[in-house]
Amino acid sequence: MRVLLAEDDPLLGDGLRAGLRQLGFLVDWVRDGLAAEAELRAHPYAAAVLDLGLPLKDGMDVLAAIRRAGITLPVLVLTARDALPDRIRGLDVGADDYVVKPVDLNELAARLRALVRRAHGQAQDCLTARDVVLDPAARAVLQAGVPVALSAREFDLLHTLLLNAGRVLSREQLEQHLYSWGQEVESNAVEVHVHHLRRKLGSALIQTVRGVGYVVTREPAGP
Amino acid sequence: MPRPRSLQGRLLALVLGVVAAVWGVTAALTWLDVRHELDELLDSHLAQAAALLVVQQAGEIEDDQPAVDAPSLHRYAPKVAFQVFHDGRLAMRSSNAPAQPMLAFSGRATTGFRTVELAGQTWRVFAAHGRERDTQVFVGEQVDSRNDILWAVLRSGLTPMLFALPLLAVAAWWAVRQGVAPLRALGRTLAQRQPQALEPIAVQGAPAEMAPMLDALNGLFGRIGALMASERRFTADAAHELRTPIAAIRAQAQVALASVDDAERTHALRATLQGCDRATRLVEQLLTLSRLESGSAPALGPLDAVAVVRQVVAEAAGLALGKRQALALDAPASLSVHAEGVLLSVLARNLVDNAVRYSHEGASVSVRLRQTAGGAALTVEDSGPGMSAADIEHLGERFFRVVGSGQSGSGLGWSITRRIASVLGAQVSVSRSASLGGLAVTVQLGSAVHS
Repeated sequence: MRVLLAEDDPLLGDGLRAGLRQLGFLVDWVRDGLAAEAELRAHPYAAAVLDLGLPLKDGMDVLAAIRRAGITLPVLVLTARDALPDRIRGLDVGADDYVVKPVDLNELAARLRALVRRAHGQAQDCLTARDVVLDPAARAVLQAGVPVALSAREFDLLHTLLLNAGRVLSREQLEQHLYSWGQEVESNAVEVHVHHLRRKLGSALIQTVRGVGYVVTREPAGP
Repeated sequence: MPRPRSLQGRLLALVLGVVAAVWGVTAALTWLDVRHELDELLDSHLAQAAALLVVQQAGEIEDDQPAVDAPSLHRYAPKVAFQVFHDGRLAMRSSNAPAQPMLAFSGRATTGFRTVELAGQTWRVFAAHGRERDTQVFVGEQVDSRNDILWAVLRSGLTPMLFALPLLAVAAWWAVRQGVAPLRALGRTLAQRQPQALEPIAVQGAPAEMAPMLDALNGLFGRIGALMASERRFTADAAHELRTPIAAIRAQAQVALASVDDAERTHALRATLQGCDRATRLVEQLLTLSRLESGSAPALGPLDAVAVVRQVVAEAAGLALGKRQALALDAPASLSVHAEGVLLSVLARNLVDNAVRYSHEGASVSVRLRQTAGGAALTVEDSGPGMSAADIEHLGERFFRVVGSGQSGSGLGWSITRRIASVLGAQVSVSRSASLGGLAVTVQLGSAVHS
């Protein structure tokens, strides 16, 4: 899952980025409000972690701006301001969750996963399609109850497709979900990962819509 | 501390005392007036009676008749007496009159009022004689009886007053009590007030005399409220500001704990230590600021600014060398200023630390002390990134930081600098450094000679 981290403090930003990466997130880190807004407008992040005391543009203003722009991604506000009016205002402006510093990295990750899950209309933490179950918290995939070993990229690709089950995602969209900044996108990378996934999970799960992209359906297509 | 006297008691004593004094004076004046009038009236009656006796004696007294004792006809009769002498012989007297003349007279007729002692009693005696001077009449009246009348008059006047006095005391007590009720209400309100409650006090029915006190009290509450609000804001700001380094320490420690990669773990542990250093520095700054804001004004005196600044520069040299910066002090051998050593040292350290911290590797930082017309000027310049005019305006606001400095800090250093400058009576000016291109901060210190 690719998330945007907006935090101006060098030490905290560095720690959060490293911690979320350890927990399987792809993290892009910006240090001021203007950059945060620009990135959120430019890329389809699964979620954003937003500090409120951001330089150049306050986190609350960034949040209000992207909500006005119709960007609906889940936003977790991470802040030192814990007064009740601040929390209420944050939630009213459009935050999906409000976490006061300091925060446990595992809790932060769990909250982000929950936000993403709910944003895709999922009530359960595990994503299911046919006989495949994906557990985002454990980063594990089971097929018919048997664990399947996937690389990090393959897991992220399957996760993205499952979250968007029924929707066709283009190669470019998938690339944006799979790679944070500075990561070299190998040519045909998505095709290669899909190929590997099909080999490991069977060819029926991920279907190709020629000229458009890939899609996962939860149930086998009807006769 | 002596127990304060009750206002109510004082007012009551004053009112009753004045009333009693007025009554006393009234009674005394009445006494004098009544006695005077009574004396005149009764004296005139004595004279009248004497005249009647004289006239009556003119043709009635037989020379050889023995002295006649007039009958006593009235219960007051014993208190009055008369004697009629004819040719030196007692011709007639009242039953209580002595045989001897009430006034000594040696054949010579006498006339007029006298007050004499007769048989242990004080008498007022009027003497009169006939035209031929053969009849001498004495009419006397016991002074006691006059006093009795006087007392009766005074009694009738004073008795109601004596009964009224307790009633008046009660009434005055009640009135005074009503009068000081707003004071008691204020006392109760203040006693029951929570220490946090600082809204203005309003006392129902407070008289105009209490308005200045209430105004002063409410003004005080207002000032205390402002002070407490500023303290609360500071505490809240400080607590929030501490959350970020703590969050960083926690995140980095968690990363280190979960890391399987040695390089990553080392990086995270280093960052954890940096976070601790930062939190420590922040706490020190907060304590310094708090001491500066709550402490009393320190004693300023003459001291050598060069020695203080040299020490500060020496301490900062380690950090500057680590960043391969050129840090130099340019100052005369000594320069006496009017300041306080510790504060000047903290001030200089803040300026030098900021310059070193916010300037890039290999930058130049110059510290200069110069004698000026008004005292001495301490200038710290650097070749760092400098600040925009807008950022310079925000300097000194608590927790303001320049964006993109890449340095973690709280912005408290500037608040402290400003605060110390105001305590020392120094002027701080911030500008672009003409020689080095970065930031130039000048502190104008007062001269030791001037003060």
